Amino acid sequence: MTEKMAHYWDVYKKFVSTSISVETSFRTSFILLIFMDFFFFFSSIGSVSFIYDHVVNIGPWQKDQLLFFLTFMLAIDNLHMMIFSQSFWEFSFHIKTGQLDYVILKPMNTIFSVFFRHFRASSLFNTPLFMGYLIYYGIQVNLSFLDWTLLPFLIVLSLALLVVIEFILSTSMFWLTDGMGINFLRMQMQQLGRWPNFIYQGFIRKVLTVVLPILLVGSGPVHFLFDKSAWQLLVTMIAALFILVLVLLVTWRIGIRRYDSASS
Amino acid sequence: MFKDLTLANIEKWWITIQISWVKHTAYRLNFFLQIIGPALVFFFVKYNLWASIYAGDSELIIRGFNFEQMINYHIWAFVVALVAQGHGSWNLAEDIRLGRISSYLIYPFNFWEFHTASWLSFQVIQMVIATFTLGIISYFGLLIFPSLNYFLIGVAYTLFISLFWFTLQYLTGVMAFWLEETWILRVMLNIIAYFLSGAIIPLDLYPKWLVDILNYTPFPYLTYYPIKIFMGEMTNLSLGLAIISFWTIVFAIINHLVWKKGIKLYTAAGM
Repeated sequence: MTEKMAHYWDVYKKFVSTSISVETSFRTSFILLIFMDFFFFFSSIGSVSFIYDHVVNIGPWQKDQLLFFLTFMLAIDNLHMMIFSQSFWEFSFHIKTGQLDYVILKPMNTIFSVFFRHFRASSLFNTPLFMGYLIYYGIQVNLSFLDWTLLPFLIVLSLALLVVIEFILSTSMFWLTDGMGINFLRMQMQQLGRWPNFIYQGFIRKVLTVVLPILLVGSGPVHFLFDKSAWQLLVTMIAALFILVLVLLVTWRIGIRRYDSASS
Repeated sequence: MFKDLTLANIEKWWITIQISWVKHTAYRLNFFLQIIGPALVFFFVKYNLWASIYAGDSELIIRGFNFEQMINYHIWAFVVALVAQGHGSWNLAEDIRLGRISSYLIYPFNFWEFHTASWLSFQVIQMVIATFTLGIISYFGLLIFPSLNYFLIGVAYTLFISLFWFTLQYLTGVMAFWLEETWILRVMLNIIAYFLSGAIIPLDLYPKWLVDILNYTPFPYLTYYPIKIFMGEMTNLSLGLAIISFWTIVFAIINHLVWKKGIKLYTAAGM
């Protein structure tokens, strides 16, 4: 098992190094990507700040609490952009053109070789900005020592839940001629989760918490950090992650069988 | 002779519009997820956000907006986004990058003509969708319709903005002569335009100093002012038209120059 993990780690390092080589050979695109993330970050923070210039609370949260939530989600977004984002777009393109043949023929887990293949180094440049703001708002909401200790694990947990949901959504590309639209659906899901769960009401909130638990990605950990009695959300999140991994393994296997190479 | 040439050209435009219509609607799920879905989800999030802020308080007024007016603002923002900013000129950059523009260099129909005809076709689809959406929203009583006069001016103004948006998107597309990935420019442009045009929240909520600066840029005239027209307030219409016209002409000229320079660099892939 350890040997297998070490092998996958070696392969992943190669994925990262080749991605960096490719990305840095297109320098203008590389720099533009850094600016794109930068603008996205400040437009998100700016919008919430401007609203709070005129209201005291949104739901039960004051400005610093919501901005902590937002920076938490943006930090996840930054990691998502860096580690996974490009692979989703490549995946739809590979299915459409038949290039997926070469990916699934490799002697590796296909989920790994499809979704961990592309690393976006440009996002790494904005990581200090994203994490810096997260720490700043963490200080503003008076996180305790325990909270700071838990924070990195909660970020990893949230990222894991987000990408597993997205992996499952992406398997639907096997059934579509052009899966590009699914990537847009993924982005809309991210947008829904970028706001705290209390802004949604009734049936929609239940669906987005239980059936497609996108609201748990940010709201689960942040509610827990603010109020330890909200531990049920965190437990639900962990349970959802396990269940969704099982769903992914089943749907992925069916999807791979369904795959009909466009090039053959 | 001239008349015949013109008629022949109109026919080419008409056929291209028809072909583009078929292309746009061939993968309906994709079209829905790529074009309508984002605007719909964006509206849905904003509706829920403002419902949460107003929390059922009909007396609460934020910078001149009660809840009903705020929702109306975002419904019109949805319509403006759909009609004016829906087109992304995706195929344009791909045509250049994959070497497909070689056909346009041979055919008696220019590259810009093909993509402008395609855009016209896209606009017709968007107008149909916007009309249908407005019908549904009105049926549920969520929308306060302005007078017919304001509505028609709003529609005309929005269509005019879509022309500006197209020239801007066209520019990002032809940058494919130099850039490997033009989607980054497009996304960056969308992020900036959405934030500075009042598509996310009304500009009335922005700091005054920022709005004063923005009024010298085309951004507020892309979303905020057309929404105001739809809401029955005719503010800065002539100034908006002048600014948008100016920038449309500027971008059309830049597009022409960029194309001329870019085509000299072009080497068709796979030839």
